[in-house]
Amino acid sequence: MSFAIEVKNLTHLYSPGTPHQVTALKNINLQIEHGEILGIIGHTGSGKSTLISHFNGLLKPNEGCVLVDGVDIHTNKETLRNSRFKVGLCFQYPEYQLFEETVYKDIAFGPKNMKLSEEEIRNRVLRAAQYTGVSGEMLDKSPFDLSGGEKRRVAIAGVMAMEPQVLVFDEPAAGLDPAGRKALTDLIKDYHRSTGCTVIVVSHSMEDIAKLAKRLIVINDGQVAMDGTLSEVFSQSEKLTGMGLDVPEITKIFAEIRKRGFDVPPDVYSVEYAEQIILSMAGRRDAQ
Amino acid sequence: MISDITFGQYYPSKSVLHRADSRAKLLLTFLMIVFLFICKNFLSLGVMVLVTVLAVIFSGVPFRMLLKSIKPVIVILIFTALLNIFYTKGGDVYFEFWRFSITEKGINNAVFTAIRIITLVVLSSLLTYTTTPTDLTTGLERLLSPLNHLHIRVHTLAMMMTLALRFIPTLIEETERIMNAQKARGADLETGSLIQRAKALIPIFVPLMVSSFRRAYELAFAMTCRCYTGGEGRTRMKQMKLSGRDFALLAICLAACAGVIVLNIFFNPVI
Repeated sequence: MSFAIEVKNLTHLYSPGTPHQVTALKNINLQIEHGEILGIIGHTGSGKSTLISHFNGLLKPNEGCVLVDGVDIHTNKETLRNSRFKVGLCFQYPEYQLFEETVYKDIAFGPKNMKLSEEEIRNRVLRAAQYTGVSGEMLDKSPFDLSGGEKRRVAIAGVMAMEPQVLVFDEPAAGLDPAGRKALTDLIKDYHRSTGCTVIVVSHSMEDIAKLAKRLIVINDGQVAMDGTLSEVFSQSEKLTGMGLDVPEITKIFAEIRKRGFDVPPDVYSVEYAEQIILSMAGRRDAQ
Repeated sequence: MISDITFGQYYPSKSVLHRADSRAKLLLTFLMIVFLFICKNFLSLGVMVLVTVLAVIFSGVPFRMLLKSIKPVIVILIFTALLNIFYTKGGDVYFEFWRFSITEKGINNAVFTAIRIITLVVLSSLLTYTTTPTDLTTGLERLLSPLNHLHIRVHTLAMMMTLALRFIPTLIEETERIMNAQKARGADLETGSLIQRAKALIPIFVPLMVSSFRRAYELAFAMTCRCYTGGEGRTRMKQMKLSGRDFALLAICLAACAGVIVLNIFFNPVI
């Protein structure tokens, strides 16, 4: 069984051989399973964006390799091109990549590059529009007439329409209002649930990550600093703070509660989880 | 990567030439280039070369940086040299072949123009190596300020130039980002016929235009918020002042120019 994405001994240097040489990634090893929903966190400049640009071959590793479905993506031109379609990358502020006359055409750009039939393109555009909540009348509008949140959805639909096996989001909710943020995290969750494809989310918002991901990878100074379940990572809040990161607000509240002598777990990362704990504590107290 | 292109070739240092007033440097470079073309024999040209070599030494700009700026003109250099060798006739004939002949005058001309072009390139790149783009535009603005009387808005032009220079790296970064985003959607920028490739650029140019306009509006808004109303009554944080250094530079250049004139009169011209 091959992994959806496997990264082996990946090292990436910027401007190698010059005095400006910077090691962006150092000997990274990662395995991402099919159907997984994974979060990647790390402070600004830690190498997260460099890492995800390797997933579909936008960058070439200086050392090591990236396997998609067990195939090294830099084997030849064919494998490189295939990796672009197998791994969909949705960059930060994707709305700035819109360019077509109509929303429909813009969403169809990716599938068209895949040389699919007119009908298949149409099906995919409509499916992607449905996932992202882009309405039928919006499809005929110019993407430049839409609101910021709508543009973001259209841009995401443009990547989804390629129906990649792995979908990577870089800061999907950056710059959105709370309602937009929630709508977007729900959208990604629903998409993952109904398609079953692998989803990778890069974010600075611990709350968003806690809501979305099951497994969490922490990148620090171009290396994998932690790799584990949400509980495993968020229970080490001191280590995270040391790397310029944070834990969700609710985890901090529960850490404080723990300090006051209450027996609560150290990894409470979501409000739902917290609710459970409080209810069970209340249940225990009532029983006594 | 596109961002590897270094734009503006300022070489940071604290040399005498770096600290000199940008107005003086602009004017003197201009003067030197004019005199480069007044030179008529190898001796007067030698004076100019000497001044240029001195300027290079005092600028602290490494030799290989200058080689880098000569590189693009090598083709022109060879081309003009060849034309000169084969088309100028006069003096002793060294070599004859069918319709072509290489003469003393031809060789003289070829060498003379080659040296002239190299000196020209070195002088003008020294200006950009030792002056930041901002200083350069400020200097230009001050030098051209008499044009204000002709109702030409020099300040506006200078501001436009400064902004354009400032935004080149930003736009390069933006282009790279958009290219990556479209490549991730399977855009093929490298293969296909010329027309196909031109068409493939549309997904890059449209977003680039859109974001440039957005940036321009944002910038205009930010400038308005800081009460920018154009050049009138505007003062500068860094006041430009001519110092002894600048006058020394001026003296050296004027001496060189005088030398050129004298040598031109007393020795036979070769060109």
